[in-house]
Amino acid sequence: MNRRAALRNMALIMGGAIILPSCLHDDKGKAVVKLNNLTVDAEQEKIVNSLTETILPKTDTPGAAELGINLFVFKMIDDCAGKEQQADFITGLNKFADAAKQKMGKPFVDSTDKERAAFVSSVEKLGKDKNYKDDSKLMAFYQMVKGQTVFGYTTSKYFMTKQVVYELVPGRYNAMFPASKATV
Amino acid sequence: MANLNIDSIKDRTFDAIVIGSGISGGWAAKEFTGKGLKTLVLERGRDVKHLKDYPTTNLYPWEFPHHGVVPDGIQKANPIVNRCYAFGEDAMHFFVKDAEHPYVQEKPFDWIRGYQTGGKSLLWARQTQRWSNFDFEGPARDGFAVDWPIRYEDIAPWYSYVEKFAGISGNRDGLAELPDGEFLPPFPLNAVETYFSNHVKKNYKNRHVISARCAHLSKPNQIHLDQGRGQCQERTLCQRGCPFGGYFSSNSSTIPWALKTGLCSLRPHSVVESIIYDDKKGKATGVRVIDANTKEAIEYYAPVIFVNAAALNSNLILLNSKSQRFPNGLGNDSGTLGKYIAFHNYSAHMNAEYDGAKEWTTDGRNPAGGGYIPRFRNVYKQETNFLRGYAAGLYAYRGHIQSSDGIGQELKDNLARKELGGWSVGSHMMGETIPKESNFVTLDNSLKDPWGIPQLRISVDYDDNDEKMKKDYIEQMTEMFTSAGFTNIQTFTDHRAPGLDIHEMGGVRMGKDPKTSMLDKWHRLHACPNVYVTDGASMTSTSCQNPSLTYMAFTARAVDHAVSELKKGNV
Repeated sequence: MNRRAALRNMALIMGGAIILPSCLHDDKGKAVVKLNNLTVDAEQEKIVNSLTETILPKTDTPGAAELGINLFVFKMIDDCAGKEQQADFITGLNKFADAAKQKMGKPFVDSTDKERAAFVSSVEKLGKDKNYKDDSKLMAFYQMVKGQTVFGYTTSKYFMTKQVVYELVPGRYNAMFPASKATV
Repeated sequence: MANLNIDSIKDRTFDAIVIGSGISGGWAAKEFTGKGLKTLVLERGRDVKHLKDYPTTNLYPWEFPHHGVVPDGIQKANPIVNRCYAFGEDAMHFFVKDAEHPYVQEKPFDWIRGYQTGGKSLLWARQTQRWSNFDFEGPARDGFAVDWPIRYEDIAPWYSYVEKFAGISGNRDGLAELPDGEFLPPFPLNAVETYFSNHVKKNYKNRHVISARCAHLSKPNQIHLDQGRGQCQERTLCQRGCPFGGYFSSNSSTIPWALKTGLCSLRPHSVVESIIYDDKKGKATGVRVIDANTKEAIEYYAPVIFVNAAALNSNLILLNSKSQRFPNGLGNDSGTLGKYIAFHNYSAHMNAEYDGAKEWTTDGRNPAGGGYIPRFRNVYKQETNFLRGYAAGLYAYRGHIQSSDGIGQELKDNLARKELGGWSVGSHMMGETIPKESNFVTLDNSLKDPWGIPQLRISVDYDDNDEKMKKDYIEQMTEMFTSAGFTNIQTFTDHRAPGLDIHEMGGVRMGKDPKTSMLDKWHRLHACPNVYVTDGASMTSTSCQNPSLTYMAFTARAVDHAVSELKKGNV
C-alpha cells in the first residue's frame, strides 16, 4: 500500500470529512466512460452507474446497465448540459455520496440493492417536498440523473419497440378514432 | 479568373440563369427547362440530392447520439438558429450556422437560412394558402406601401398551375378571403377541432376554422408519381427530407424535374457576388460568382437572369450589383431597394384544455398540423384600431398520461402505462405587418463575409400596429376559447426578434410606378427588365397567409413572361 492510498483509507475511516488534496485524485482511478467536458473519477462513475441501476433496475425486463442508460446519462450531461449544470452535477454528486454514506454507514456503491433503493426513494420523496431547498445541489444532481435515465429509457430501442411502440412510418391519420379502440 | 478565351465564355453562357435553388428558384429551373431553355442554377450551398443526401431520414430516436437533443456547445455557438423550432439533432445539418455566414443586426433579427440545394424548401412548415384580393388590394385600400400592380385574377391561373404539380391538400371551403385551389383530399379536423369549427361557425359571423392546407400528397396524382414522389406516410419528420417525397420541396420535385430535361446545369458552392450590368448594352449580361470552396471568381452569362436567392439575399445581391448606371444597386432608380422589409408577427400563442369529446381520439399523425383560422379582422372594411389582421393555427391533441414518479418497478410500470389524457388545444398567431421605409437592409461599409462580399446590415422591428394586433389576437382567441368551453386558457406573448417567423419579405417590391417601386407587374426590374426577382423580396405587402405558394405562382408566371419576351426578341 503506498502512502497516498494509506492516507486515503485513513480519510475514509475518519468519515470522509477530510477534503483530500487534489494531488491525490489521480489515485482514485480514471473513469471508464469517455467524456469531453465533464471530469469524473472511477468512484464517481460507479456512483452514477449504480444510481441509474437503482432508478431503473433489472427486473423481468432490462435495467439501466443492460440498456446502456448509464452511458447515455453521462453523454447527455457531458454534451448537452451547460457549464453551470455540469458544475452542479459534480457538486451534487459528491453531496449525494456523502449523504448516502451518512445515512447507510457505507458508500452508496457498497450498499445492498435494498438499502440503495430505500435511500434513493427518500431522495425522490424529498424532491417532491416544496419546502426543500437544494442548497447542496444534491437534488439538482439527482434530478439530472433521473431525468436523463427516464429520457434515455423511454427513447431506447427496447422501450420503443417492446413497451410503447414508436412508429417511424404510421402511414395513416385517423382524425376521428374511437378512444375505446386506442391501442396505447 | 478562369480562361477568358471564346470557348470558355461559350461554356459559361446559358439561355437563363437562376440564382438560388429554393422554393422559387426550383420553380424557375423547372419552368425554363420545360420551355427548352438551357438553364444554369446557382446554389451557394452544397448539393443535397433527394433521398441520397437525407442522412437522418430513416433514423429512430435512439439512433441519434443524443436522442434528438442538440448538444449544448452547438446551441451556445448558434444562438440565432437554435431559436428555430426545426433546429434539432435530426435536421441541424440543413441550417446555416451563425458564425459561418455573419451579418450585422442593427436591430435584433433572427435570420434563419438553409444553404443547400432546395434551400429552406427542405425545412419549411408546408402550409400553403392562396392570397385573395383582400390581400392584393390591401395597401391601396388601407393607404400603406404602394398598390400591388397585380390582382388575384392575374395570379389565379398560376396558383392552379403550381398547385397541380406541387400537390396541395385541402378542403374546398368556399371562402372569399381564402380562395379554393386545386386540392388533393384534406387532412381532416379531429373531434375537438371539428367541435370548435362548428362552434365558431354558429357564433361568429365570417369566422372559420378549416383544415390546414398543406403541400402534402394526401393522394398522389399521376403527375406526382411521374416525379418519383409517393403518398405522404404521415411521419411528420419532414425537416429531415422525406424518403417518400410526400411533401413538396425543390429537392423532391422541381430540381430533379429540371435536371431530367438535360437542359439544367446545377452548380452548387456558387456564391453570387453580383449581377453584371453592361453600361453600353444597357442591360444585365450575367452574374459574377465566387466559388465557395476555391474562392475563385467566375462569370456566367445569359440574356435573362432570375434572382431567387431568398428575400434578404436577393436584396444583398442587387445592392452589391453596382455599375455606372446604377451606383446604388441594380435597378435602384427609386431608392427603394432594401427598404419596406416586412415579416409575419408570430409573437403570441395560446394553450387550453377541453373536457369533452372523451369518446374520440386520433390515430397516426397529422402532417397538416390541424386547423387554420383565416383572417377575420378588417377583411371587408376597417373595423379595429389597427390595420390588417392575422390568421391563426388551431390544433387539438389528446396526449397520454405518463408518470415518471417513483423508482424501480414502480417507475417502469408508470412509464409503460399509457392512458389517454384529456384534450389539449393550441393556437398561434400569424399577423400581417406593415412594410415601412424605416425597416430596411443595407450593405455594411467595411465588414465582409468570408467570400469578400459586404455583410448585410438588417434594421427591422415591430411597431405599434403589431402590438395592437397581438393584443387583439389574445382577446379574440380567449373569447372564442372561453365561449367554446375550453378551460385553463393560457396566453403567451414573447418578444422574439423579427425573422424567426422565417417569412421576411420585401426590399425589391413590385409596383406600378418606377419612382416608388423596383419591379413591374411581371417581376422585372423597371430599370433593367432582363432581371426578374420572384422570391420574397418582391412582395409589396405580406398578407397573413404563408407566402411560399405565392412565390411559386409568381415564379411560374414570370418565367412564362420572360420566355415569351425572349421569343419576341425583346430581351
